[in-house]
Amino acid sequence: MGLVKYRDALELQAKLVECRRQGSISDTLLSLQHPPTFTVGKRRTVHNIVSSPEVLESIGAEVHYTERGGDVTFHGPGQAILYPIISLREAKLGARRYVEGLEDTMIKLCALHKIKAKGRMTKETGVWVENRKIGAIGVRISGGGIASHGLAFNINPDLNFYTHIIPCGIPDKEVTSLHKESFLQLPDEDPVTQQLIKCFIEVFGYEDVTWKTT
Amino acid sequence: MGLTSFAVDELGDIVFVELPEAGSKYEPGESICTVESVKASSAVYAPVGGEVIEVNTSVKEDPEKLNKDPFGESWLVKLKIANQDHLKSLLSASEYESAVEQSKH
Repeated sequence: MGLVKYRDALELQAKLVECRRQGSISDTLLSLQHPPTFTVGKRRTVHNIVSSPEVLESIGAEVHYTERGGDVTFHGPGQAILYPIISLREAKLGARRYVEGLEDTMIKLCALHKIKAKGRMTKETGVWVENRKIGAIGVRISGGGIASHGLAFNINPDLNFYTHIIPCGIPDKEVTSLHKESFLQLPDEDPVTQQLIKCFIEVFGYEDVTWKTT
Repeated sequence: MGLTSFAVDELGDIVFVELPEAGSKYEPGESICTVESVKASSAVYAPVGGEVIEVNTSVKEDPEKLNKDPFGESWLVKLKIANQDHLKSLLSASEYESAVEQSKH
């Protein structure tokens, strides 16, 4: 979908969640990027935003408060975002197994680029290369067992943005990206994003997939 | 009302619980509280309609308790049932256990 403002993506997800709950659409995946945006999760851990609103405005970043799980994070160009709007009930997935699937999606993508990444870190959900975080997860499960929000994978964002927050509330760990970790020549962002989507399809076992570009 | 041990297992380690206000009213199936685990914020539904009489603030202060004793100390909400008929559509403990077993296959 290209660059989508956070608020617009939230509105679109809300509509899709409702359609999915009513069964008028099947599981749907949004693939997009956001302009520089800091988001806060349902726990409202605002203390993990280090810089003042004035500073954030001066660097052209927005701040949004959301209903997803997870702490404070950054989204921006160069970071691939997937928002799967799926019925966990129909998929017979609990929250834990779904989130593990999102971790596996990103781990699989890293492996394609010969990077060894891991998930399943207790209390530190997400995808890590050693102790550097390359992929973040924040999910909302609404009435009817419909999941929204999803994952954010750092292909090549400007990592300096992360200095304005304590990412995910974890102070001593670095944030990294595919570009930073890879010694190989990387393809452009679009093919990498396509690979990420294919990893998602494989991990969750979807067979009948329709691709659309907007 | 609260979470079953099966639900707690499916959710993962619970780190945050948001509870309703005493006095608020809910319809059956309406989202009454939220639980967060593994970076997923999940809605919890009122099984019956009613008015919230009391919430378990100790669970709000220490959400990890839910991971240990969901059936006992870690109840979430006490509801005054609006309509006894709502109870008829609920599963008994043994019916619930069979449903859980079946869902695993």
